[in-house]
Amino acid sequence: MLQCTNILKRLISILITASICCNVHAQTAIADMAFIEGGIYTPLYGNDSVPVQVKPFYMDIAPVTNQQFLEFVEQYPKWQRDNTKRLFADEMYLSHWKNNTELGNNAPSNAPVTHVSWFAAKAYCECQQKTLPSIDEWEIVAMAGADKKDARKEENYNQRILDWYEKPSSFPPKEVKSTFKNYWGVYDLNSLIWEWTYDFNSVLISGESRKDGAVDRNLFCSAGAVGATDLMNYAAFLRYAFRGSLKANYNIKNLGFRCVKRIPLKK
Amino acid sequence: MRYKYFLQLLTFIGCSMLFSACEPQELQQKTLETSTQTVEEELPDLSIFHLPSKWATQSNDTIELVDLRGKVTVLALIFTSCQYACPRLVADMKGIEEEVAANKRSETNFVLVSIDPENDTPEVLHQFAEEKELDLSHWTLLQGTPDSVLELAVTLGVKYRKVSAIDFSHSNIISVFEPNGELVFQQDGFGADNTDIVGHINELLKK
Amino acid sequence: MQIIKIACKFVKKIKRSFIIKYNFITLITNSNCSFTMKKILWFFICVSLVSCKDNTMQYSDVIGGVREAELTSPPHVPMTDKSMRHPLKQIVKLEIIEKVMEMTDGVEYTYWTFGGTVPGSFIRVREGDEVEFHLKNHPDNKLPHNIDLHAVTGEGGGAASSFTAPGHETVFSFKVLNPGLYVYHCATAPVGMHIANGMYGLIMVEPREGMSEVDREYYVMQGDFYTKGANGETGLQPFDMNKAVSEDADYVVFNGAMNSLIGDNAITANVGETVRLFVGNGGPNLVSSFHVIGEIFDKVHIEGGSMVNYDVQTTLIPAGGAAIIEFKVDVPGTFILVDHSIFRAFNKGALGMLKVEGEEDKSIYSGTIQEGIYKPEGGTIQEMPDDGSAKTPVKTAALSFQEKMEMGQRVYNSTCMPCHQQTGQGVPNAFPPLAKSDYFNADMDRAIDIVLNGKSGEITVNGKKYNSIMTRQVLNDNEVASVLTFISNNWGNDKEEVSASDVARIRSGH
Repeated sequence: MLQCTNILKRLISILITASICCNVHAQTAIADMAFIEGGIYTPLYGNDSVPVQVKPFYMDIAPVTNQQFLEFVEQYPKWQRDNTKRLFADEMYLSHWKNNTELGNNAPSNAPVTHVSWFAAKAYCECQQKTLPSIDEWEIVAMAGADKKDARKEENYNQRILDWYEKPSSFPPKEVKSTFKNYWGVYDLNSLIWEWTYDFNSVLISGESRKDGAVDRNLFCSAGAVGATDLMNYAAFLRYAFRGSLKANYNIKNLGFRCVKRIPLKK
Repeated sequence: MRYKYFLQLLTFIGCSMLFSACEPQELQQKTLETSTQTVEEELPDLSIFHLPSKWATQSNDTIELVDLRGKVTVLALIFTSCQYACPRLVADMKGIEEEVAANKRSETNFVLVSIDPENDTPEVLHQFAEEKELDLSHWTLLQGTPDSVLELAVTLGVKYRKVSAIDFSHSNIISVFEPNGELVFQQDGFGADNTDIVGHINELLKK
Repeated sequence: MQIIKIACKFVKKIKRSFIIKYNFITLITNSNCSFTMKKILWFFICVSLVSCKDNTMQYSDVIGGVREAELTSPPHVPMTDKSMRHPLKQIVKLEIIEKVMEMTDGVEYTYWTFGGTVPGSFIRVREGDEVEFHLKNHPDNKLPHNIDLHAVTGEGGGAASSFTAPGHETVFSFKVLNPGLYVYHCATAPVGMHIANGMYGLIMVEPREGMSEVDREYYVMQGDFYTKGANGETGLQPFDMNKAVSEDADYVVFNGAMNSLIGDNAITANVGETVRLFVGNGGPNLVSSFHVIGEIFDKVHIEGGSMVNYDVQTTLIPAGGAAIIEFKVDVPGTFILVDHSIFRAFNKGALGMLKVEGEEDKSIYSGTIQEGIYKPEGGTIQEMPDDGSAKTPVKTAALSFQEKMEMGQRVYNSTCMPCHQQTGQGVPNAFPPLAKSDYFNADMDRAIDIVLNGKSGEITVNGKKYNSIMTRQVLNDNEVASVLTFISNNWGNDKEEVSASDVARIRSGH
């Protein structure tokens, strides 16, 4: 309750300076997000893959930064490094920060936050009245090129992504909004860090025993995984394999996140 | 114009949520703290009982996972309309139950959590339990929300994906927890040899 | 051993229930060749009865101890246990590291490695051992990886159990049931890309009784690489998916890079020693026709298994396969390891060297005894064909002397060094020297012509005869001028500077 009173105080102060608080707040929120039309696309995985309808939504134009995450843990001390249960974040959680509430040299304030678990990322988004993007939402934004909604057939689209995947990580990562900006005005997808998705565990690449789940196993076995006509899958395979290797309390050096905001249905 | 109106609506909703959205979490924690005040500190860091969500049982009672505390828990994720894997998974669970000494079964929770909370209501779960002849004195079937099921599943490393309105792909993992909710053992794949998992359960029951 | 195995199967078939309990068998088997045929046959059947029984008995053998397995970087191989021993629990700790290394001078590549090298660390265990495998994925790595060991009996060869995110470690264990030399590799999607980037290595499962003693053991593994730029194009070269799919390799190399086994990195032995090569082929695509120029393999464990072939010239090593090769080196010299799909050797890098030192033995290899002129009736002088497809010269700005020396060094290292060696000393009897070379210094136009059009037939350099083939080099005028300037200003040569216009003049035939 204490934290919420804090928010209330802040809001009141904003209210005093700007008489229409909600609009100010909301406009900045929207300003840092890009409107994504949504649409239909076919996911990589499974032979039960059918085109998926993705509804319109807003996506953060940049990954969440160290500074933003710091403000979050200041408001919610239970998400500070030493206060978090290992069930929700293993011992690598925010391990590059100086301490609970200071960033230090390894965590430039404007660089994306990494070493952050799924639970922590999810809590952050929820407290911004947002949510982690689903795989489908993330993928549909990431398939855009510089000036096209779907650039997957363009040669340099794939090469750009593969080039990034291939390079060992630099740490700390560069500042957000310093790499590729796509058609939607969204930065840094497939070019700065890996990013969490809400349903990362829907990639069934192990432990699956259903007969028709066999295709997911192709993430391990090369049999029929890639045909010559579908070379673009290389980038996607790397990405899905990465998601499949994760557990929710993992904190990885080059894995961060951004949030999306779903649009409430109009009555 | 319409867009502007819509934006305002959105910001209104957003603003009103600003006060509420994070609040439940605080409240939840609060209730958790009060309801289990005496034991909270002792829970190991990795206990699944830290998950704050609320669940409906087959008898339409509302419980938290921490209510399972004090007994050995054997847990699997299923959905009742499942044609292929889940019947095997439930059969495996029953097989395990049979190998646990009869007088120890009351010290064990056998828990089935539905990954299809939209369809698997308490009534459906109750009917499912009857069909499968589950002894409800130590079996519990749980309905959560899509979000709470996801949180539980990712915690256990269980993968699943909605294939259609009534069908899911999912991993077939049976998990065993000690009385404080810490994961002790997982059996992956159905029709497996139960020796290991029963061994772990009996070991825990001895303590 | 082969005969025993066959006999073993035979006996097992007809007398499955027969039970004899003995335990001192292997000593007897290796000697005893001088009996009559009949006696030998009966003897083998008796022995194999015992050893068949023995094999099945030892599956339940108690693990005799725990130790951390020694891992080695190529071309080295861990020490073996000299005698028969109880099965052990061996702990293998292998770290995955993604890093940039040199493919050849001036050409870099992002390798994904098991243990920091390509191929990955060599693992040596013994039949019946239990292996506790720790796979560590370095936190700086970008991708998840896993390992599929062909020596594992179990689903995915360990792939599913070892799927590891960056900054994490997985542990799984397995019992090695079959002896042999096995490939291991990463099997995370897209598998081809992980292998193409260098994620493979070898694990040797020694038979229960150990391996025969040899003087030298080395680890060699072939792999093919696919880069955005063509062979020799400098800079950090990204992986080229399209070339990989069409199996159009830019580099085919031993031990991950063009110079891994060349010059100072050559493997060595002394005359009279027996050399054992553990040779693998990681692929991802190409099959290797493994050959050592100037040696005959006394023994080859075909495909790394238990069948032994003798007196082999070239052995086929499939992608994802291996072979154990043994031979005694009788004479000194430099023996060249090649993939005998020979353009890979001379143009894509599939070359290695075994340097043997010691006394010459003229009764085994004489060197040239006599030479003379050979003129077949009506014969005309053979010339290397020129298909006329030589590149049209590219007009570029003239380079300074310093620029030529730098470019020349690079071109030399990637193009000339495999044959002419690091300091231009050449290889005796095979490739003529460029250092203090009378032939080279005598006529620069001729040197340019040889680089442009190749050279075959006998020449005399510093008083020694050479008769081999140099292919024409696909280099532009600046590169030719630079490399010749570099050679001429090194190693005691006449310090001439060659200009691109000289090269253009020769190229146009004047």
